[in-house]
Amino acid sequence: MFELQRNVIFGQFVDTGSPVHRMDPRLKLAAAFVLIVASFLIDTFAGYALVLPLLVLIHVLSRVPFGYLLRGSRFFLGFLVFILVFQVLFYPGEVQPSNVLWSWGVLSVSTTGIRFAAIVGLRVLLLYYVTTMLMLTTSLVDLTNALELVFRPLQRLRVPVNEMVLVFVIAIKFVPIFIEEIERLAKAQTARGVPFDEGGAIKRARRIGRLLVPIFISGFNRADVLTTAMNVRSYRGGRGRTKLRRMHASAGDWTALVLIISWVLVAWQFPASGWL
Amino acid sequence: MEAGTSPVIELKNFRYTYLEGTPRAVEAIRDVSLEIHRGERVAIVGATQSGKSTLVDALVYLLRLGSGQVFYEGEDVTAPGYDRGKLRREIGVVFQSPDAQIVENIVGADVAFGPTAAGIPAEETRKRVEESLNAVGLSYPEYRLRYVHALSGGQRRRVAIAGVLAMRTPVLVLDEPTAGLDPRGRRELLDLLLNLRKERELTLVVCSAGLEEASLLCDRFVVLDAGKVVMDGPAREILRRSNRLAELDISLPETVNVASELKKIFPDFPTSLLTEEELEAEILKHLGAG
Repeated sequence: MFELQRNVIFGQFVDTGSPVHRMDPRLKLAAAFVLIVASFLIDTFAGYALVLPLLVLIHVLSRVPFGYLLRGSRFFLGFLVFILVFQVLFYPGEVQPSNVLWSWGVLSVSTTGIRFAAIVGLRVLLLYYVTTMLMLTTSLVDLTNALELVFRPLQRLRVPVNEMVLVFVIAIKFVPIFIEEIERLAKAQTARGVPFDEGGAIKRARRIGRLLVPIFISGFNRADVLTTAMNVRSYRGGRGRTKLRRMHASAGDWTALVLIISWVLVAWQFPASGWL
Repeated sequence: MEAGTSPVIELKNFRYTYLEGTPRAVEAIRDVSLEIHRGERVAIVGATQSGKSTLVDALVYLLRLGSGQVFYEGEDVTAPGYDRGKLRREIGVVFQSPDAQIVENIVGADVAFGPTAAGIPAEETRKRVEESLNAVGLSYPEYRLRYVHALSGGQRRRVAIAGVLAMRTPVLVLDEPTAGLDPRGRRELLDLLLNLRKERELTLVVCSAGLEEASLLCDRFVVLDAGKVVMDGPAREILRRSNRLAELDISLPETVNVASELKKIFPDFPTSLLTEEELEAEILKHLGAG
């Protein structure tokens, strides 16, 4: 409870100065998008097996410690396993009687269900990995600029692109702030006799209710201060705003994007038969 | 402090790193050994980032601690089966931000929270709430049913202090107690603490970035820099080394500042003066001699 920050990496940026960090953020965003689409398209084990070396390559290049990523994903992975168990037990599709391994009332375990759950699990893992790595390797400034540039054409349709990107970025930025706040509250309340560090999971979860009111109040306060700060600095959306940093996509960046696209295409179209 | 008695709080080679094992790790405490005896009034002084708040968290076991580092009344707090609840009923902590430690929405209920959780009977709790609220200058009949979040920052800090006082802890730890208060609120709070110090046999630990209030409340200073104890001793002895303190970005009491200026004129002018009266006496003495 007191070391949430150590165990949650959502929204964090870890600068190792690696080639992945230095990649043009627009192209990195595009590459992430391609991989996200891939997580929806690929539906064979062979396909995911083919994507794996690509992810390993990206990870090694990024120099983000794998242990850090793993520790920071503990909550998420636990939750995923929990959901997948239900997915298997309540598999709704048609199952041939010969595939059923165990059943009891509405619950059943079948090879078809397991295979389905495993593919879903892989999909979610890929999705999670790609978005997390995008956050870990891209600073918020880069991400904001890239998102604004990518969605700029929508501005013609009077979509408030800058404002929407800003809302998105602020939302992400608030996650670590909230985590810090929760940690601080939990500590202070523990010192007063609400033992956040003792008791079973349900007891602990109940105590979290005590944190909600102060968290909301401080959240609104922060939002208020932020609004004032932006008004004082004459924020008026993207109109007439120029950028200090210009983005440059190098030949290497383009090569990386093309490589990722073709790799994903191969993985998607890879002929797989039977169980694979 | 009586010689020979074991310290009430003891830190042995305590070290702590935030976010250990991640790329964002920050070493907050490098190596701190410290003994605090019953009845002592200790100021832990250091610039921001020197590790004061981390030390406070460690005293009531709010951090991941290794064994053999933090002892309360001679017992290792990390020992299996150690009663952390009891530890927190014995050491009362007022944190830097009062909002974090206010648990209930109504003033009276919040002050009553600690005693109630400790299983103290309702009648006694009511008495303590009244006493604590009055002690911090919030009159019991007027404030007990107020909504906490509608109070001003200074009033919330008083509520937070009242909540800790109601626990009647033998050890009281205050982290930057006067930060964010106006001069009047600051004076009132200091008076309150001085009174408490007189009335109860308290062991007091005050964290502060400056020596201004520390020199009024405490007689021993522990100076931290970058997670290490750089000075530890009686207040007067530490104040004598005003140049070193200034190097460490620690603000000095006004009396010491004036005395340091006078030292330029009178090379033998002492700088370790705690009160205005002492300063006055020294000035008179030097003028008489000159």
